Amino acid sequence: MSNEFQTHLPPISEIWVYLSGSPLLALVLTLSAYLLGLTLYERSQRNPLANPVLIAVVVVTLSISVLDMPYAKYFEGAQFVHFLLGTATVSLAIPIYKGFASLKGRMGVLLLSLVAGGVTSALTAVGVARWLGVDESLVRGLVAKSVTAPIAMGIAERVQASPTLTAIFAVSTGILGAVLGRYVLDALRVTAWWQRGFALGVAAHGIGTSRAFSVHPEAGAYASLGMGLHGIVGAVVIPYAVAWWF
Amino acid sequence: MIQGLVQLFIFQALGELVSKFALPFIPGPVLGLVLLLAFLSVRGHVPASIDLVGGSILQHLGLLFIPASVGVVLYLPVLKANAWAISAALVISVLATVAVTAGLLKVLAKKEGT
Repeated sequence: MSNEFQTHLPPISEIWVYLSGSPLLALVLTLSAYLLGLTLYERSQRNPLANPVLIAVVVVTLSISVLDMPYAKYFEGAQFVHFLLGTATVSLAIPIYKGFASLKGRMGVLLLSLVAGGVTSALTAVGVARWLGVDESLVRGLVAKSVTAPIAMGIAERVQASPTLTAIFAVSTGILGAVLGRYVLDALRVTAWWQRGFALGVAAHGIGTSRAFSVHPEAGAYASLGMGLHGIVGAVVIPYAVAWWF
Repeated sequence: MIQGLVQLFIFQALGELVSKFALPFIPGPVLGLVLLLAFLSVRGHVPASIDLVGGSILQHLGLLFIPASVGVVLYLPVLKANAWAISAALVISVLATVAVTAGLLKVLAKKEGT
Protein backbone atom coordinates (compact mmCIF):
# COMPACT_ATOMS: atom_id res chain seq x y z
CA MET A 1 0.00 0.00 0.00
CA SER A 2 2.64 2.49 1.02
CA ASN A 3 4.76 1.42 -1.94
CA GLU A 4 2.01 2.19 -4.39
CA PHE A 5 1.51 5.57 -2.76
CA GLN A 6 5.15 6.46 -3.22
CA THR A 7 5.16 5.67 -6.91
CA HIS A 8 2.25 8.03 -7.54
CA LEU A 9 3.43 10.94 -5.46
CA PRO A 10 6.62 12.71 -6.56
CA PRO A 11 9.10 13.33 -3.74
CA ILE A 12 8.33 16.44 -1.72
CA SER A 13 11.52 18.16 -2.86
CA GLU A 14 10.36 17.89 -6.46
CA ILE A 15 6.98 19.50 -5.65
CA TRP A 16 8.87 22.19 -3.82
CA VAL A 17 11.23 22.94 -6.69
CA TYR A 18 8.25 23.16 -9.04
CA LEU A 19 6.23 25.50 -6.81
CA SER A 20 9.07 27.86 -5.94
CA GLY A 21 9.76 28.28 -9.64
CA SER A 22 6.27 29.61 -10.34
CA PRO A 23 4.94 33.01 -9.25
CA LEU A 24 2.07 31.30 -7.41
CA LEU A 25 3.94 30.72 -4.17
CA ALA A 26 4.91 34.39 -3.76
CA LEU A 27 1.40 35.51 -4.74
CA VAL A 28 -0.37 33.15 -2.33
CA LEU A 29 2.04 34.12 0.43
CA THR A 30 1.48 37.85 -0.14
CA LEU A 31 -2.31 37.62 -0.38
CA SER A 32 -2.78 35.29 2.58
CA ALA A 33 -0.45 37.34 4.78
CA TYR A 34 -2.52 40.43 3.89
CA LEU A 35 -5.77 38.58 4.67
CA LEU A 36 -4.35 37.55 8.04
CA GLY A 37 -3.33 41.17 8.66
CA LEU A 38 -6.83 42.41 7.73
CA THR A 39 -8.48 39.86 10.04
CA LEU A 40 -6.29 40.84 12.99
CA TYR A 41 -6.92 44.54 12.23
CA GLU A 42 -10.70 44.00 12.29
CA ARG A 43 -10.44 41.90 15.47
CA SER A 44 -8.57 44.75 17.17
CA GLN A 45 -11.44 47.17 16.38
CA ARG A 46 -9.25 48.80 13.73
CA ASN A 47 -6.48 49.78 16.10
CA PRO A 48 -3.87 51.59 13.97
CA LEU A 49 -1.10 49.68 15.77
CA ALA A 50 -2.48 46.41 14.29
CA ASN A 51 -1.79 47.76 10.79
CA PRO A 52 -2.53 45.03 8.19
CA VAL A 53 0.44 45.97 5.99
CA LEU A 54 2.85 45.87 8.91
CA ILE A 55 1.53 42.44 9.99
CA ALA A 56 1.71 41.12 6.42
CA VAL A 57 5.28 42.38 5.91
CA VAL A 58 6.40 40.67 9.14
CA VAL A 59 4.64 37.41 8.16
CA VAL A 60 6.05 37.37 4.59
CA THR A 61 9.54 38.33 5.77
CA LEU A 62 9.58 35.50 8.33
CA SER A 63 8.12 33.02 5.81
CA ILE A 64 10.66 33.68 3.09
CA SER A 65 13.54 33.45 5.53
CA VAL A 66 12.20 30.12 6.89
CA LEU A 67 11.74 28.89 3.29
CA ASP A 68 15.23 30.17 2.48
CA MET A 69 13.80 32.07 -0.49
CA PRO A 70 15.91 35.03 -1.67
CA TYR A 71 14.09 38.37 -1.85
CA ALA A 72 14.70 38.69 -5.59
CA LYS A 73 12.97 35.32 -6.12
CA TYR A 74 10.01 36.39 -3.98
CA PHE A 75 9.66 39.70 -5.81
CA GLU A 76 9.70 37.95 -9.18
CA GLY A 77 6.40 36.34 -8.22
CA ALA A 78 4.95 39.21 -6.20
CA GLN A 79 5.59 41.78 -8.94
CA PHE A 80 2.08 41.19 -10.30
CA VAL A 81 0.74 42.78 -7.12
CA HIS A 82 3.42 45.48 -7.20
CA PHE A 83 2.45 46.43 -10.77
CA LEU A 84 -0.97 47.66 -9.64
CA LEU A 85 0.65 50.47 -7.59
CA GLY A 86 0.64 52.67 -10.67
CA THR A 87 -3.04 51.96 -11.33
CA ALA A 88 -3.79 52.71 -7.67
CA THR A 89 -1.99 56.03 -7.98
CA VAL A 90 -4.15 56.97 -10.97
CA SER A 91 -7.25 55.95 -8.97
CA LEU A 92 -6.36 58.52 -6.28
CA ALA A 93 -7.97 61.05 -8.64
CA ILE A 94 -11.37 59.74 -7.47
CA PRO A 95 -11.15 60.73 -3.76
CA ILE A 96 -9.43 64.00 -4.72
CA TYR A 97 -12.23 64.85 -7.16
CA LYS A 98 -14.87 64.01 -4.55
CA GLY A 99 -12.94 66.05 -1.95
CA PHE A 100 -13.05 69.12 -4.22
CA ALA A 101 -16.84 69.05 -3.95
CA SER A 102 -16.72 69.82 -0.22
CA LEU A 103 -14.14 72.59 -0.48
CA LYS A 104 -16.31 75.70 -0.07
CA GLY A 105 -13.59 78.12 -1.18
CA ARG A 106 -10.96 76.87 1.24
CA MET A 107 -8.46 75.91 -1.46
CA GLY A 108 -5.92 78.68 -0.82
CA VAL A 109 -5.82 78.08 2.91
CA LEU A 110 -5.48 74.33 2.38
CA LEU A 111 -2.66 74.62 -0.16
CA LEU A 112 -0.62 76.96 2.06
CA SER A 113 -0.95 74.65 5.05
CA LEU A 114 -0.15 71.63 2.89
CA VAL A 115 3.08 73.16 1.60
CA ALA A 116 4.09 74.20 5.13
CA GLY A 117 3.31 70.71 6.42
CA GLY A 118 5.16 68.94 3.60
CA VAL A 119 8.27 71.07 4.05
CA THR A 120 8.15 70.51 7.83
CA SER A 121 7.87 66.76 7.29
CA ALA A 122 10.94 66.48 5.09
CA LEU A 123 13.07 69.05 6.95
CA THR A 124 12.46 67.69 10.45
CA ALA A 125 12.90 64.02 9.43
CA VAL A 126 16.15 64.60 7.55
CA GLY A 127 17.37 67.16 10.12
CA VAL A 128 16.79 64.97 13.17
CA ALA A 129 18.16 61.88 11.41
CA ARG A 130 21.39 63.65 10.43
CA TRP A 131 21.72 65.25 13.84
CA LEU A 132 21.50 61.79 15.46
CA GLY A 133 24.06 60.44 13.01
CA VAL A 134 21.80 58.15 10.98
CA ASP A 135 23.58 56.36 8.14
CA GLU A 136 23.39 58.56 5.01
CA SER A 137 22.10 55.59 2.96
CA LEU A 138 18.91 55.71 5.05
CA VAL A 139 18.43 59.49 5.16
CA ARG A 140 17.23 59.85 1.55
CA GLY A 141 14.47 57.34 2.24
CA LEU A 142 12.98 59.81 4.74
CA VAL A 143 12.38 62.67 2.31
CA ALA A 144 9.07 61.44 0.88
CA LYS A 145 7.81 59.51 3.90
CA SER A 146 4.70 61.65 4.50
CA VAL A 147 3.60 61.19 0.88
CA THR A 148 1.21 58.30 0.18
CA ALA A 149 3.31 55.15 -0.36
CA PRO A 150 2.59 54.49 -4.08
CA ILE A 151 3.60 58.04 -5.04
CA ALA A 152 6.43 58.12 -2.48
CA MET A 153 7.98 55.06 -4.12
CA GLY A 154 7.81 56.72 -7.53
CA ILE A 155 9.50 59.80 -6.08
CA ALA A 156 12.14 57.59 -4.42
CA GLU A 157 13.17 56.12 -7.76
CA ARG A 158 13.71 59.65 -9.10
CA VAL A 159 15.86 60.86 -6.20
CA GLN A 160 18.03 57.73 -6.01
CA ALA A 161 16.45 56.67 -2.73
CA SER A 162 15.44 53.10 -2.01
CA PRO A 163 11.72 52.51 -2.76
CA THR A 164 11.73 49.81 -0.08
CA LEU A 165 13.03 52.12 2.66
CA THR A 166 10.65 54.84 1.52
CA ALA A 167 7.70 52.41 1.73
CA ILE A 168 8.76 51.21 5.19
CA PHE A 169 9.18 54.79 6.46
CA ALA A 170 5.88 55.83 4.88
CA VAL A 171 3.98 52.98 6.55
CA SER A 172 5.65 53.72 9.92
CA THR A 173 4.82 57.41 9.56
CA GLY A 174 1.20 56.58 8.75
CA ILE A 175 0.87 54.41 11.86
CA LEU A 176 2.58 56.99 14.11
CA GLY A 177 0.41 59.80 12.73
CA ALA A 178 -2.79 57.79 13.17
CA VAL A 179 -1.88 56.93 16.78
CA LEU A 180 -0.32 60.22 17.96
CA GLY A 181 -2.00 62.82 15.73
CA ARG A 182 -5.00 63.50 17.92
CA TYR A 183 -2.86 64.37 20.95
CA VAL A 184 -1.16 67.13 18.97
CA LEU A 185 -4.51 68.34 17.61
CA ASP A 186 -6.03 68.39 21.10
CA ALA A 187 -3.01 70.20 22.56
CA LEU A 188 -3.33 72.90 19.86
CA ARG A 189 -7.12 73.02 20.44
CA VAL A 190 -7.86 72.38 16.78
CA THR A 191 -11.53 71.41 16.92
CA ALA A 192 -12.93 71.78 13.37
CA TRP A 193 -13.26 68.33 11.76
CA TRP A 194 -12.03 69.55 8.38
CA GLN A 195 -8.84 70.99 9.92
CA ARG A 196 -8.15 67.88 12.00
CA GLY A 197 -8.75 65.58 9.02
CA PHE A 198 -6.67 67.59 6.57
CA ALA A 199 -3.68 67.66 8.94
CA LEU A 200 -3.88 63.88 9.41
CA GLY A 201 -4.05 63.29 5.65
CA VAL A 202 -1.04 65.56 4.99
CA ALA A 203 1.10 64.05 7.77
CA ALA A 204 0.01 60.41 7.73
CA HIS A 205 -1.46 59.81 4.20
CA GLY A 206 -3.63 56.68 3.75
CA ILE A 207 -3.33 55.30 7.27
CA GLY A 208 -4.12 58.69 8.79
CA THR A 209 -7.00 59.04 6.33
CA SER A 210 -8.65 55.79 7.36
CA ARG A 211 -8.22 56.87 10.98
CA ALA A 212 -9.91 60.20 10.14
CA PHE A 213 -12.81 58.40 8.39
CA SER A 214 -13.35 56.25 11.47
CA VAL A 215 -13.72 59.40 13.61
CA HIS A 216 -15.87 61.64 11.37
CA PRO A 217 -16.86 61.61 7.66
CA GLU A 218 -15.92 65.28 7.13
CA ALA A 219 -12.51 64.64 8.69
CA GLY A 220 -12.12 61.66 6.34
CA ALA A 221 -13.03 63.59 3.19
CA TYR A 222 -10.52 66.34 4.02
CA ALA A 223 -7.90 63.76 4.97
CA SER A 224 -8.17 62.11 1.51
CA LEU A 225 -7.87 65.54 -0.04
CA GLY A 226 -4.77 66.29 2.07
CA MET A 227 -3.22 62.95 1.15
CA GLY A 228 -3.98 63.37 -2.58
CA LEU A 229 -2.77 66.97 -2.83
CA HIS A 230 0.39 66.12 -0.88
CA GLY A 231 0.97 63.31 -3.40
CA ILE A 232 0.67 65.61 -6.43
CA VAL A 233 2.61 68.54 -4.96
CA GLY A 234 5.25 66.20 -3.48
CA ALA A 235 5.81 64.43 -6.81
CA VAL A 236 6.48 67.77 -8.52
CA VAL A 237 8.48 69.53 -5.79
CA ILE A 238 10.47 66.84 -3.93
CA PRO A 239 12.80 65.81 -6.81
CA TYR A 240 13.84 69.47 -7.27
CA ALA A 241 14.25 70.02 -3.54
CA VAL A 242 16.46 66.94 -3.23
CA ALA A 243 18.61 67.92 -6.21
CA TRP A 244 19.15 71.33 -4.64
CA TRP A 245 19.58 70.19 -1.06
CA PHE A 246 21.64 66.97 -1.15
CA MET B 1 -15.72 46.09 -14.11
CA ILE B 2 -13.44 45.43 -17.09
CA GLN B 3 -14.52 48.77 -18.56
CA GLY B 4 -13.30 50.65 -15.49
CA LEU B 5 -10.03 48.72 -15.44
CA VAL B 6 -9.37 49.51 -19.10
CA GLN B 7 -10.07 53.21 -18.53
CA LEU B 8 -7.69 53.33 -15.56
CA PHE B 9 -4.98 51.52 -17.56
CA ILE B 10 -5.44 53.99 -20.41
CA PHE B 11 -4.91 56.96 -18.09
CA GLN B 12 -1.91 55.19 -16.56
CA ALA B 13 -0.45 54.60 -20.03
CA LEU B 14 -1.09 58.22 -21.08
CA GLY B 15 0.66 59.35 -17.89
CA GLU B 16 3.66 57.15 -18.67
CA LEU B 17 3.82 58.58 -22.20
CA VAL B 18 3.69 62.19 -21.01
CA SER B 19 6.32 61.40 -18.36
CA LYS B 20 8.61 59.73 -20.88
CA PHE B 21 8.43 62.37 -23.58
CA ALA B 22 7.51 65.65 -21.89
CA LEU B 23 7.90 65.75 -18.10
CA PRO B 24 10.48 63.11 -17.13
CA PHE B 25 10.87 64.44 -13.58
CA ILE B 26 7.27 63.57 -12.62
CA PRO B 27 6.36 59.88 -12.20
CA GLY B 28 4.01 58.62 -14.95
CA PRO B 29 1.25 57.40 -12.58
CA VAL B 30 1.07 60.87 -10.97
CA LEU B 31 0.56 62.41 -14.41
CA GLY B 32 -2.07 59.74 -15.04
CA LEU B 33 -3.76 60.87 -11.81
CA VAL B 34 -3.75 64.51 -12.96
CA LEU B 35 -5.14 63.54 -16.39
CA LEU B 36 -7.91 61.46 -14.80
CA LEU B 37 -8.68 64.35 -12.43
CA ALA B 38 -9.01 66.68 -15.44
CA PHE B 39 -11.24 64.12 -17.20
CA LEU B 40 -13.49 63.81 -14.12
CA SER B 41 -13.76 67.60 -13.83
CA VAL B 42 -14.80 67.86 -17.49
CA ARG B 43 -17.33 65.04 -17.09
CA GLY B 44 -18.67 66.59 -13.88
CA HIS B 45 -19.06 63.22 -12.12
CA VAL B 46 -17.21 59.95 -11.53
CA PRO B 47 -18.41 57.30 -14.05
CA ALA B 48 -19.73 54.25 -12.16
CA SER B 49 -17.26 51.84 -13.83
CA ILE B 50 -14.21 53.88 -12.78
CA ASP B 51 -15.64 54.43 -9.30
CA LEU B 52 -16.16 50.67 -8.85
CA VAL B 53 -12.69 49.53 -9.95
CA GLY B 54 -10.72 52.49 -8.57
CA GLY B 55 -12.61 52.28 -5.30
CA SER B 56 -11.84 48.59 -4.82
CA ILE B 57 -8.16 49.06 -5.68
CA LEU B 58 -7.88 51.95 -3.20
CA GLN B 59 -9.68 49.97 -0.52
CA HIS B 60 -6.78 47.50 -0.57
CA LEU B 61 -4.02 49.99 -1.32
CA GLY B 62 -1.96 48.54 1.53
CA LEU B 63 -1.73 45.14 -0.19
CA LEU B 64 0.06 46.71 -3.13
CA PHE B 65 3.08 47.92 -1.21
CA ILE B 66 3.77 44.63 0.55
CA PRO B 67 6.13 43.24 -2.17
CA ALA B 68 8.39 46.32 -2.05
CA SER B 69 8.21 46.59 1.75
CA VAL B 70 9.36 42.98 2.20
CA GLY B 71 12.65 44.21 0.72
CA VAL B 72 13.25 45.44 4.26
CA VAL B 73 15.06 42.09 4.76
CA LEU B 74 17.93 43.53 2.72
CA TYR B 75 18.22 46.54 5.04
CA LEU B 76 17.78 44.86 8.43
CA PRO B 77 21.42 45.23 9.58
CA VAL B 78 21.66 48.95 8.76
CA LEU B 79 18.13 49.60 10.14
CA LYS B 80 18.98 47.79 13.40
CA ALA B 81 22.15 49.83 13.81
CA ASN B 82 20.14 53.07 13.41
CA ALA B 83 16.87 51.95 14.99
CA TRP B 84 16.60 54.52 17.79
CA ALA B 85 17.69 57.49 15.73
CA ILE B 86 15.31 56.57 12.87
CA SER B 87 12.40 56.11 15.27
CA ALA B 88 13.13 59.47 16.89
CA ALA B 89 13.27 61.16 13.48
CA LEU B 90 9.95 59.59 12.42
CA VAL B 91 8.12 60.46 15.67
CA ILE B 92 9.39 64.05 15.90
CA SER B 93 8.71 64.64 12.21
CA VAL B 94 5.12 63.36 12.26
CA LEU B 95 4.28 65.38 15.41
CA ALA B 96 5.78 68.51 13.86
CA THR B 97 3.96 67.95 10.55
CA VAL B 98 0.55 67.56 12.21
CA ALA B 99 1.24 70.60 14.42
CA VAL B 100 2.37 72.88 11.58
CA THR B 101 -0.39 71.85 9.14
CA ALA B 102 -3.24 72.05 11.66
CA GLY B 103 -1.85 75.13 13.43
CA LEU B 104 -1.46 77.12 10.23
CA LEU B 105 -4.85 75.95 8.96
CA LYS B 106 -6.50 77.14 12.19
CA VAL B 107 -4.83 80.56 12.09
CA LEU B 108 -5.49 81.13 8.37
CA ALA B 109 -9.11 79.97 8.58
CA LYS B 110 -9.76 82.33 11.50
CA LYS B 111 -8.28 85.23 9.52
CA GLU B 112 -10.41 84.47 6.48
CA GLY B 113 -13.43 83.74 8.61
CA THR B 114 -14.29 80.51 6.77
